[in-house]
Amino acid sequence: MSDSLFSQNYFEIFALDVSSRVDMAQLKQKNQTLQQQMHPDRFASGSEAEKREAMQKTSLVNQAYDTLKEPASRLQYMLSLQGIDMNAETDTSMDGAFLMEQMELRESIAEVRDTADPLDALDKISSQLKQKATQLLSEFDQFYDQHAFDRAREVVRKLQFINKAQREVGELTEQLEDEIL
Amino acid sequence: MALLQISEPGQSTKPHEHRFAIGIDLGTTNSLVATVRSGKADTLPDASGEHILPSIVQYSADTIRVGQQARDNQLDDTANTISSVKRLMGRGISDLKRLGDKLPYSFAETESAVPRIKTAAGDKSAVEVSAEILKTLKTRGEKTLGDELYGAVITVPAYFDDAQRQATKDAATLAGINVLRLLNEPTAAAVAYGLDSGAEGIVAVYDLGGGTFDISIMQLRQGVFEVLSTGGDSALGGDDFDHAIAEWILKQAGVDANELSHKVLRQIMQKARAAKENLSGQAESKVHIEFENGETWSGSLSREQFNQLVDPLIKKTLMSCRRALRDADVDKDQVMDVVMVGGSTRALRVRELVGEFFESTPRVDIDPDRVVAIGAAVQANALAGNDPDGNLLLMDVLPLSLGLETMGGLAEKIIHRNTPIPVSRAQDFTTYKDGQTAMSIHVVQGERELVDDCRSLARFELRGFPPHVAGAARIRVTFQVDADGLLSVAAREEASGVEASVEVKPSYGLQDAEIEAMLKASLEFAGDDKDARSLREQQVEADRVLEAIDSAMAYDGDSMLSEDEKATILASRNELQRMRHQATETQQLKDAMKHLEKVSDSYVARRMNASVQKTMAGHKVEEFNND
Repeated sequence: MSDSLFSQNYFEIFALDVSSRVDMAQLKQKNQTLQQQMHPDRFASGSEAEKREAMQKTSLVNQAYDTLKEPASRLQYMLSLQGIDMNAETDTSMDGAFLMEQMELRESIAEVRDTADPLDALDKISSQLKQKATQLLSEFDQFYDQHAFDRAREVVRKLQFINKAQREVGELTEQLEDEIL
Repeated sequence: MALLQISEPGQSTKPHEHRFAIGIDLGTTNSLVATVRSGKADTLPDASGEHILPSIVQYSADTIRVGQQARDNQLDDTANTISSVKRLMGRGISDLKRLGDKLPYSFAETESAVPRIKTAAGDKSAVEVSAEILKTLKTRGEKTLGDELYGAVITVPAYFDDAQRQATKDAATLAGINVLRLLNEPTAAAVAYGLDSGAEGIVAVYDLGGGTFDISIMQLRQGVFEVLSTGGDSALGGDDFDHAIAEWILKQAGVDANELSHKVLRQIMQKARAAKENLSGQAESKVHIEFENGETWSGSLSREQFNQLVDPLIKKTLMSCRRALRDADVDKDQVMDVVMVGGSTRALRVRELVGEFFESTPRVDIDPDRVVAIGAAVQANALAGNDPDGNLLLMDVLPLSLGLETMGGLAEKIIHRNTPIPVSRAQDFTTYKDGQTAMSIHVVQGERELVDDCRSLARFELRGFPPHVAGAARIRVTFQVDADGLLSVAAREEASGVEASVEVKPSYGLQDAEIEAMLKASLEFAGDDKDARSLREQQVEADRVLEAIDSAMAYDGDSMLSEDEKATILASRNELQRMRHQATETQQLKDAMKHLEKVSDSYVARRMNASVQKTMAGHKVEEFNND
């Protein structure tokens, strides 16, 4: 590994193809190899310049690893490589069917306490969300391969929605568990 | 290729030169020092054979006593004998009010927000008291090994925030110790446990000390210790068990704590602690208290009663465990081993509830007192370069999210908790008023939405950038967290290049005037340091440029350039390479890069045209990213 680290994209850093699906085992393995070479611990008795360089390089590798690890940030990064900015203010009206679906989902999360077995209900919602996420990943691949990046971006936005709902389900599950404890 | 000058790890140190490095566990109740000798890590005893140094310092007019001697005098010299000082590290006066009524010292009235304890030897801050403990351990190490100390790894609770870490590092500096690394206690414990047992897989380290609680979920494989998540409470520990028992005693005796002297209160605390420790071996502890007015109280604490008192505290730790598992995306049944660390895990009730929670019997076969110091010694030895062939690697995380205050007192997170460190993140902010030329930056740490609920780390101002309409200025704030978990922040207005940066020091810890003096000093001394950094940055940039031009020329230099053009570019390229290694001024490098850019201008344009044409011909862009 050389100074060219700074000119590589995140996928290149881990010797991965630019793709929505990454081999997590390879990502982890390569991350470890890079850390072995660059981590500041390897330069603890080195010069200040070496230490700083180690910190900068490891920071970059960590950021790249963090970005590729999660699907939503990975897809967002793939789009950024195509010059598509997720945060740009664009005229994107999300598709109505998806929004309806999300509203219904939110309602069922909110009402989960009134069900006979709230924890079970949350588990079901959680697996629905996982299914939806898998489906969105395939949709993304389609649009991305067709270079329909604006539509791919809409898919990423949807995925972010799903992730947020998934986090809320997790938090609520914890709350309920605490109350039972 | 000679383009790149990479220094390989270990090369900068002479081979076979052994450097004497130690690991220090600076605990709330007890502290230890360990080192690696002949390949084996072990804790070091004092002259009388004791490994454990009680973290207690007694100040008198002419001497300072540390450890057992100080503990022996604790009851007779309560006001000058300071224990559990770790609880005050990195804390401000306002934090004390929460702990205040439990502390038997008087605090000096001071202008500064750093609390200082009044002693017979003057007013002492927590950093100074900790430095005395560190000095004692350093001397012990040097005496045992008869050698000068190269450096030390000092452990901190994983859940320590930036201010607490900084205070610990300051204490080490004050003690004359070169800090090789601040290491998280559960990570240190995992190193000792992992190397000893050869275990590979996911482990949970449950570390309940005298005053702090940590939980770390870690992946162990082939000498690599990767922290997946960490959680905890930096103000919860065995001391709180003692408090709960002491309060129960007072209630049983029908006595109001406010009517008792510090001395009697401390005596009750000692009895409470003894009662707790006895319960590890027997079903019931007898307690006998003598009050100053000659009255006495006798009673007994049963295990059931004790469980009732401490269960709420232990449940708090289990909530942290659950969150840590979720953050690590690990299920309980994936956890191979639960490693118990810290003296407070001797309490049977703790083992019982932790076992129930993880649905497995926790590992209690390692010495919970010494394991942290031993792990720290192993890392210190590696960091000192004594183990050049070793593959020990510790990958740790940021325990608490870092953010900035935005409009409306909200905290915007820049780096989320459990992000691997070192890490750097930049975020752009803008102005909210027309003509605004300054912006104040407030750095906070914590998980809560409101700034007031987070820990305030630092405030500084970025001034003197040109006025824009609201929303037009672009202020880029960069957070850099190093491998010690310590933060530095830099801010820059992009259009004008106005910069401000600050080593984060706790904002409640210092007066504005002190911060100002610090900033002034940093501006005065920043010159050299900044030059060095910007030169280094330009060198990295130059490497990038050199590599780009080389790979481009190798790819299509022959087909796209005439011999003359090639010679011109090569000459400029070689000049840049020379400057890359010889330039002492940033400007020299910049000029060399500019020159190369200029002479290769038309070549770059031709390449772009060519690749656009190829793309139009139906190829994918990736094929051209050959640099």
